Amino acid sequence: MALDAILKPINRLGRGTASALAELGYAGAILVESVYFALVGWRHGQPVRPAAIVEQMRQVGIDAIPIVLLLSFTVGLMLGIQFVSAFSEFNAESQVVMAVAKSVTREFGALITGILVAGRSGSAFAARIGSMNVSQEVDALYVIGIEPVRYLAAPALVAMLVMLPTLTVLANTAAIVGAALYCAPVLEVSPVVYIIQTLHALEMRDIWEGLSKSVVFAVIITLVGISTGFGVTGGAEGVGRATTRAVVLSITLLVVADMVFSFFLNR
Amino acid sequence: MDAEPVIDVQRLNVWFGKRHILHDVDFRVMPGEIRVIMGGSGSGKSTLLRHLLGLLKPRSGSVRILGTDIAAASSAEVLRLRRQMGVSFQGGALFTSMTVGENVALPLREHTDLDENTVRIMSRLKLEVVNLGGFQDLMPSQLSGGMVKRAALARAIVMDPKLLFFDEPSAGLDPVVSAELDELILQLRDAMRMSIIVVTHELESAFKIADTITVLDRGHILMTGPVAAVRASDNERIQDLLNRRPRKVEVDTDEYLRRLTEAEVD
Amino acid sequence: MKNECTTEARDGLHLVKVAGEVDLSWSQSIRKAVLDALGRAPAVGVDLSAVTYIDSSGIAALVEGFQSARGKGQKFALVAASPQVRAVLQLARLDRVFPMVDTAEAVTS
Ligand SMILES: Nc1ncnc2c1ncn2[C@@H]1O[C@H](COP(=O)(O)OP(=O)(O)OP(=O)(O)O)[C@@H](O)[C@H]1O
Ligand SMILES: [Mg+2]
Repeated sequence: MALDAILKPINRLGRGTASALAELGYAGAILVESVYFALVGWRHGQPVRPAAIVEQMRQVGIDAIPIVLLLSFTVGLMLGIQFVSAFSEFNAESQVVMAVAKSVTREFGALITGILVAGRSGSAFAARIGSMNVSQEVDALYVIGIEPVRYLAAPALVAMLVMLPTLTVLANTAAIVGAALYCAPVLEVSPVVYIIQTLHALEMRDIWEGLSKSVVFAVIITLVGISTGFGVTGGAEGVGRATTRAVVLSITLLVVADMVFSFFLNR
Repeated sequence: MDAEPVIDVQRLNVWFGKRHILHDVDFRVMPGEIRVIMGGSGSGKSTLLRHLLGLLKPRSGSVRILGTDIAAASSAEVLRLRRQMGVSFQGGALFTSMTVGENVALPLREHTDLDENTVRIMSRLKLEVVNLGGFQDLMPSQLSGGMVKRAALARAIVMDPKLLFFDEPSAGLDPVVSAELDELILQLRDAMRMSIIVVTHELESAFKIADTITVLDRGHILMTGPVAAVRASDNERIQDLLNRRPRKVEVDTDEYLRRLTEAEVD
Repeated sequence: MKNECTTEARDGLHLVKVAGEVDLSWSQSIRKAVLDALGRAPAVGVDLSAVTYIDSSGIAALVEGFQSARGKGQKFALVAASPQVRAVLQLARLDRVFPMVDTAEAVTS
């Protein structure tokens, strides 16, 4: 029927919107509950254990340091190459220091770290909680009297909120060192001088811009990973699907959020 | 003897989407009773169990556990209830990231401030009870199916709960272990004064341990009664279940054709 | 019956008398009483004749006492355990582990 052909897509769109909204609400609830348990859970017999937070910090943060350093060093080097070649076309090489410093601290440090951690840890959250869901471990937590959000989500969120900005600072440093190694000879200064010039070029708000983005990224990655994990149905296959979805969705949201941030902060 | 039921379910109705899964279920268990829930696949046993555990909230009807309405209880009350309930899930549901010993000790660590020595002794004691003495340092992935089940039971009873729920205790176990488990269920009731709810398909085991049996069929309670009464029942569906007869499926021509030809609703 | 735990000093023996329903809420005080008695006397008996229920935290207290006594070569026994206590001990086959005697005098012999 002709009417059906029109109504069906509308119907589907409506249902898609509704489920997206429901998911947003669900993620919001996890956020609120995690914060609640982290702050006052111990008063209601639901403490968030420091040991669990430390363990998460190791997994999402410490273990990611080598790859974050390597990647941001490389990207810094690449930025150096590109800026030098672009600026030299109109003889503005002296601006390279400034351009690298600002683009790294405001943008790339946080973004690279975010994407990496989304790939490493966002997927790990989804996989871990998803498989716990499938094997009734989440139910087991409930009946033992342990709120799954308190036990699984809150430590991850706290760890991410601490570690992602920390990793971002490391990434900024590595990227600038990478850029220095390429640009300093071209600009005929020593790498140390290049770095000192960078520090002079930077303002506090450049650093803050990157760090505040990384806090938002931490929330996005954690909530997407965890809510996707809790939503898993359909056995091992479902866990696989959830893992992929968590990575794709969190990177997408991350880039969009980054764009929105940059837009409003640089007007 | 107090006559308050430990579980009191009244007129529970459950829908999943448009499907009516449980119809007007009344279910009452007295202290010290061993109740077996039987029924064919898809009859709603797990769904009923999930309501008793408070994993699903009733939208129609009421579920009272140890005198508390779980749908209306505050989170502190629910927590107090949970400390008095132990559950052994069908697949065990051991936490794969912890050793067997840590799994069993978890409820104690979370809910009591007992001294670490006492926690260790209590959790190993429960492993002894289920014949897994000395296995505390293995990871769940290193256990056989039957051992997982027994470890899950150890975790379920580590807090000495008043109420023990056991989903399919003997499925997939060898006959000796399964008989030992039946014996253990009886001992737990007698020594630890637990009230025990068991979901099972195994008739032999059901008849051995049950005080009373509830038979579920397509979401309806066919009967609840002592073992002898259930065996003597002249209800055809119950006899099908007891005698492992294939059930007679009634064919309604219109309904059948509709199922085959109806366009999908999406 | 009232929940109670008292210690009696006899010649060469401390007798810890427990009565009532032993559960998590006060089993730690039994643990302390048993360990204290072991610190003061060469032989300790735990009288369980008036115990109507004992949970595993109570059993754990007894196990800890027995373990500590064995470590120091002291005598330790459960005295006149009630049927309820025996049933719980049997669950974990502890009735074959603990020395079980019928009278306080038998602890030292
Ligand atoms: N989450 C759910 N969503 C939709 N339908 C469900 C859900 N869980 C169970 N059902 C349906 O409810 C009915 C009862 O399922 P339930 O799992 O309670 O059966 P059961 O008696 O435990 O069967 P089995 O012995 O096979 O485990 C089934 O028809 C099932 O399809
Ligand atoms: Mg089932």
